[in-house]
Amino acid sequence: MTDTARWSEESEALAESVMAKYPQKRSALMPLLYIAMREDGYLSEAGMRRVADLVDLEPAQVSSVASFYTMYKLEPVGKYLVSVCTSISCWLLGGDEVLEAVEASAGVPSGETDESGVISPEHVECIGACGGAPAVQVNYELIEGLTPKKATELVEWLNAAQPATLNGDEMQALFGGERSFDWAINETNDATGPYPAFQPHGTIAALDRS
Amino acid sequence: MSEPAEFVTIKLNGEEIQAPAGEMLIKVAEDNGTYIPRFCWHPRMKPVGLCRMCLVEVETPRGTALVPSCVQPVADGMAVETGSPVALKAQEGVLEFLLVNHPLDCPICDRGGECPLQDQVMSYGPGESRFVEEKRHYEKPVPISDLVLLDRERCILCARCTRFSDEIAGDPLIEFQNRGNGTEIFTFPDEPFASYFSGNTVQICPVGALTAAPYRFRARPWDLLTIESTSPFHTEGSRITVHASQNQVLRFLGVDNGLTNQGWLSDKERFGFEFIGSPDRLKMPMIREDGEFREASWGEAIGLVAARLKEIVERSGPDAVGAIGGAQGTNEDAYALSKFMRVAVGTNNLDAQLDDGLNPDFLVGVGSRARIQDLESAKTILVWSADLKEENPILYLRVRRAARELDATLIVVHPARTGLDDLADHKFGYRPGDGADLLADLAAGTQDYAPALDALQDGPVVVILGRTGLSEDGGLAEAVASFARDLPAASIMPIVRRANTFGALDMGVAPSLLPGRIPARGASGAIIELWGKVPATRGLDTAGMLAGLVGGELEALIMVGADPVRDVPSGSKAADALRAADFSVAIDLFMTDSAAMADVVLPAEGFTEKEGTVTNLEGRVQKVNRIVPGPGQARPDWSVLDGIAESMGSPIGLPSSEAIAKEISTVATAYEGVSWDLLEGEAREGAVVPIGDVRQPLEYIAVNAEQPARTKGLALHLARTLYDDGSAIRHSLSLAKLAPGMTAGLSPDQAVDLGVEAGDLVTVSIGSVTFACPVRIDRALADKTVAIPFNQPGIETLDAAASVLVKAGGSS
Amino acid sequence: MTDHPLILTARMHAHPESSHTIATYEATGGYTALRTALDMGRDAIVEEVKAANLRGRGGAGFPAGVKWGFLAPARPAYLVVNGDESEPGTFKDRQLMERDPHQLVEGTIISSLANEVNHAFIYIRGEYPKSARRVQAAVDEAYAAGYLGANILDSGYDLELTVHLGGGAYICGEETALLNSLEGRRGEPRLKPPFFPAVRGLYMAPTIVNNIETLSNIPWIINNGGNAYSAIGPEDSPGRRMCSISGHVNRPGNYEIVEGITWRELIYDVAGGIRNGNELKAWVPGGASAPWFVPAEHLDTEVTKAAIDSNGSMTGSGAVIVMDHTTDMVAAAERLVRFFAHESCGLCTPCREGTTWLDMILRRMLAGHGRASDPDVLYDVSDNISPGVTWPPKMTTICPLGPSAVSPVASLLKHFPEEVAAAVERGTQVPVSIGIRS
Ligand SMILES: Cc1cc2nc3c(=O)[nH]c(=O)nc-3n(C[C@H](O)[C@H](O)[C@H](O)COP(=O)(O)O)c2cc1C
Ligand code: SF4
Ligand code: FES
Repeated sequence: MTDTARWSEESEALAESVMAKYPQKRSALMPLLYIAMREDGYLSEAGMRRVADLVDLEPAQVSSVASFYTMYKLEPVGKYLVSVCTSISCWLLGGDEVLEAVEASAGVPSGETDESGVISPEHVECIGACGGAPAVQVNYELIEGLTPKKATELVEWLNAAQPATLNGDEMQALFGGERSFDWAINETNDATGPYPAFQPHGTIAALDRS
Repeated sequence: MSEPAEFVTIKLNGEEIQAPAGEMLIKVAEDNGTYIPRFCWHPRMKPVGLCRMCLVEVETPRGTALVPSCVQPVADGMAVETGSPVALKAQEGVLEFLLVNHPLDCPICDRGGECPLQDQVMSYGPGESRFVEEKRHYEKPVPISDLVLLDRERCILCARCTRFSDEIAGDPLIEFQNRGNGTEIFTFPDEPFASYFSGNTVQICPVGALTAAPYRFRARPWDLLTIESTSPFHTEGSRITVHASQNQVLRFLGVDNGLTNQGWLSDKERFGFEFIGSPDRLKMPMIREDGEFREASWGEAIGLVAARLKEIVERSGPDAVGAIGGAQGTNEDAYALSKFMRVAVGTNNLDAQLDDGLNPDFLVGVGSRARIQDLESAKTILVWSADLKEENPILYLRVRRAARELDATLIVVHPARTGLDDLADHKFGYRPGDGADLLADLAAGTQDYAPALDALQDGPVVVILGRTGLSEDGGLAEAVASFARDLPAASIMPIVRRANTFGALDMGVAPSLLPGRIPARGASGAIIELWGKVPATRGLDTAGMLAGLVGGELEALIMVGADPVRDVPSGSKAADALRAADFSVAIDLFMTDSAAMADVVLPAEGFTEKEGTVTNLEGRVQKVNRIVPGPGQARPDWSVLDGIAESMGSPIGLPSSEAIAKEISTVATAYEGVSWDLLEGEAREGAVVPIGDVRQPLEYIAVNAEQPARTKGLALHLARTLYDDGSAIRHSLSLAKLAPGMTAGLSPDQAVDLGVEAGDLVTVSIGSVTFACPVRIDRALADKTVAIPFNQPGIETLDAAASVLVKAGGSS
Repeated sequence: MTDHPLILTARMHAHPESSHTIATYEATGGYTALRTALDMGRDAIVEEVKAANLRGRGGAGFPAGVKWGFLAPARPAYLVVNGDESEPGTFKDRQLMERDPHQLVEGTIISSLANEVNHAFIYIRGEYPKSARRVQAAVDEAYAAGYLGANILDSGYDLELTVHLGGGAYICGEETALLNSLEGRRGEPRLKPPFFPAVRGLYMAPTIVNNIETLSNIPWIINNGGNAYSAIGPEDSPGRRMCSISGHVNRPGNYEIVEGITWRELIYDVAGGIRNGNELKAWVPGGASAPWFVPAEHLDTEVTKAAIDSNGSMTGSGAVIVMDHTTDMVAAAERLVRFFAHESCGLCTPCREGTTWLDMILRRMLAGHGRASDPDVLYDVSDNISPGVTWPPKMTTICPLGPSAVSPVASLLKHFPEEVAAAVERGTQVPVSIGIRS
């Protein structure tokens, strides 16, 4: 195994603590891929090589796993990943139209990133918000009960405000409608990139993606 | 492995049959004459049941069910229908699905004509495609290594290649990427499929998705002539088929000889066929005149050789002549060399090894010889030899399997990192020269070695031993053998370099042995009746002969498929010796560096051009066969030697290869009964000599390893790599570029000491030779050691000395 | 329905602002079941769960107590909680994780105890960061309070609980694919046999896989007894279960129901009827893989496992997707098939190729290029994935995902042949090959 470039101290420490949580280190592969994404903003080749080194695999084995899952982005994506659900329940209530609105206001089709690198629209399969259809996630923070008009406003707001961290409750209040169930509790989230804002074993400071 | 199988009764298509319990249905059906179509199933890999081609109907308590027969173990009372309407419908359905995305480019596909998918479509497939949508598209064949190309459109995602690479070869460099309908086989960017075993994936790919660069578009299967033979590259004796068209050998494929290679080949033995048709092959005898070679007739050349040898023998006695070689040809060739030297010349100066092997007396005398198959039942395996991955790749696969699949405990002892380290339960490194100390510690079970010694008490134990590097004393391996002898249920597998060294030794190409492993001193019996008197005094080995030439005691040297300048550890000494020789002759395929210094060079027939037998490292005798004629006027070694003897007036009477084989079986007791008929009939997997289960006692008392004196500098670990600048590889264009090139391997601390990093140039001085090369870091190396790969392109001959000087900065 | 107290959602209704905190959880009887369970010992716990006849809520509906009884004796053993919830229409586990994570954590600890497990995992789909945060916070609180870790509540019992995030793949809901994923591999299902999790599961060790909702019931069962649980609702599928209702209804959402009402009651009373006063056309009774129900045949049948099964569909994940008369059923089928084609792992041929082929045909029909042969080809391709196109499905595939894509196609052909014919009719009848792929 070759020696790969190390991540930031913080990520290396986090990687170590993640691996300690499992009886076998390969089990840490998926959490480590998220750490790699946080380091580079997407899952780069260098990131996969580092992960391969940490869990004693060949890089081809790591990319084999990474490319299986939709949330590991092997290409750079914009600051805000806007995922529009077009599965059955959302489709029944206008998910396709919401997607069109997002694409139109971002100016690029699903799967691409706008010129300024801010918005990446994508269409996704069911995100478990069918009771609040149509639903959208921004960096995996959920907004339910959108309309095409509200979706347009959401994209415009993201472009204009470019918040450093995203708050699902705030976005829901601004752009959402009916919800699957009462979310009840307000919380501050720190979604900052195309990876879920969940750090099981500690936090990494929001990375500046300049 | 061979637990007594319990048998169950199942009903296969209405007929009651007996089958071993737990065996997969697909195999049971095949063994009983019913072929169930399949793509992902391969008899040498774990079944995965993913292509679903092998669906059959099985009666269960809850009615009939469609089950994939490759993952369905047979159970008592099971009733199976392999061709019921439901089963056939399912099989046709799967086939149609596979064709949905398969391009119909059979006419330009290397697999066309021998493609399981094509065959399947003929027998089970739907006539016409109902799929009117667009097929998957990928870039047409992309090279994924220097040897292999991948056409992802043809791939049916059976995962044979990925499973082979991961499970069998241990090189998981190609893997499924993406998922669902977008799934494809691919490598990681900039990480080619650089596995020593990559060609096997081409062979087992059931479609033309993986193709071999050296074979691409060279021929269509229906144009090919095929024979079975034995691979000439490694001492394991892999079984192969040779395919030729219009007198050109076009490829080798592995044959599943369960006892040796199990169907697999190293890429060296698969693609090494290219040397056979090389334009550089010698075609005419050559005689040196005024320093230049000129072509000559056989008559003239043989006459000259005979006259010069006779003259030297008459002037200085038979012991002024010596011969090196015989390990690259057949047993028949080796026998001819042995008889020629004893009978026509009258000396024991002959050696099949090039100062890089083990003492022949030890090799033929070591008791409890292991068979490769013993690895299947070994509890513990000790490997203290060259890096098997580099020198004995088939053995490497077998040891890997034992450690990985069969749960044997693996102990590896080697001065550098080896291919088996990742699988080893215990790995011990040492500074070259300190091996005897390590052995003493291991035998005493001190501290770090106690767990390994414990494991070695858990038999059966197989001990694979040999020289770890070319600069290591062979005595160490003998000492390891003495230690191993006392382990419980231990069997020993000594290994040496070059494919037919064991055959040559059995034929008496050694300073002290006659054919059949009979000591030359005091020989009697059939051989003496046939050969007459043979010299009794021990002859010179290769090192002795080279020294003798320089010292003047030896005047003539015969080289038979041997290139001492390139191949002995101290090549520069061999060059000095050839320069000093009064007369030298090379019988060879190519104008090697040594042949270029000879007085007469005679063109020999090579592998696939002649018939005969070879003997592998466990004593297994197998046939090699002829499929193409040799180039120009090339002749087999035995015939050349017979001609020289005739011309010297001391005929050795060897009219044909088959006649030699008969003579061998009469004079060499161990080979009694080993006839070509036997090897082509009953004993197609080879006959092990001595035939039967006779185990020889260890008569030879091993020496204690000597510690070479080391005063200054670093200890040298000089080791071969699979690809090097040897003549077969040099003339196999696809492989020649794969030699890793010269590097200086250093431990991380040693590198820091010298102030260098990986890739930096250093100047290396070994004996009288100095060169510059980049640094490579090997964490397994001891400090004060430098690891140098042997025989790399662009580097002149080495002068292997115990100590080496390494300086930062390159100048040469 | 009000005859029986709420089990799963009682706390979140009573304490909407704080049901997720340990303070509220403990103040409302939380972690008393754990103390009881530690005293009971594992055999007694298994007995209670068996007595409850608690059926799995992940899709297959297998009784949890019976499953636990199959756990092979070798140790270590593992418990894996399946929070991959990705079946279209299903969003109940998300609510249970976000709103009452301690109920899940306590259920997990008790189940681990019952199965002699010392390391449990909660696998949550990656697209549920909020669920993951809430569950992780609850786990952290439980460690701090001594409910997790070494020597839990001085009982001598140790348990580690790791929260693991998925990477975006529906197939990881299938239990063996989930185990592969948890081992850091592609989420490809394993062959059953021989890889039954109870014998050869995570790291080839005996493993229990249960759904989030299934285990959220455990504290109540320990507190009230298995018999109290099995006394609720139909004998064969007792207790309360979450039902996610979505689509063209006035009040979509999660409802904690007791089985035994009719579909009419569920759709019109519970979920408030069809939007805009429209007519009900069809509904999916148990998650995207379930064969459809139509009003003429099924509206007055019962919402019970027995009735749903005998009517040729399944309770599945409990998701009900309601479609009104404006719905283009060919398009609806395509939406469902598209999902399965997108989520196929690609390992076995019939699923990888067949689901995509079905989707391509449907898309071509929708694009106005239907062919007369399409209905037959749709049926026969379905037949090659799921021989006989029966229910419950037979399969040529490794796992049930492939046959899941057959359900909507078979339902479409069976209940709406005239819409299929109309789509073919709209076709140009010109044989074209067009490249539409997802
Ligand atoms: C394709 C497929 C997807 C599945 N997805 C889920 C899922 O998202 N959540 C879940 O709990 N079970 C899912 N299951 C069922 C699981 O395999 C397993 O039966 C279940 O987690 C067991 O838990 P239970 O017995 O508590 O229901 C799925 C099964 C299949 C075949
Ligand atoms: S390349 Fe060949 S061997 Fe490999 S998965 Fe594809 S069809 Fe099978
Ligand atoms: S050969 Fe049985 S599934 Fe492939």
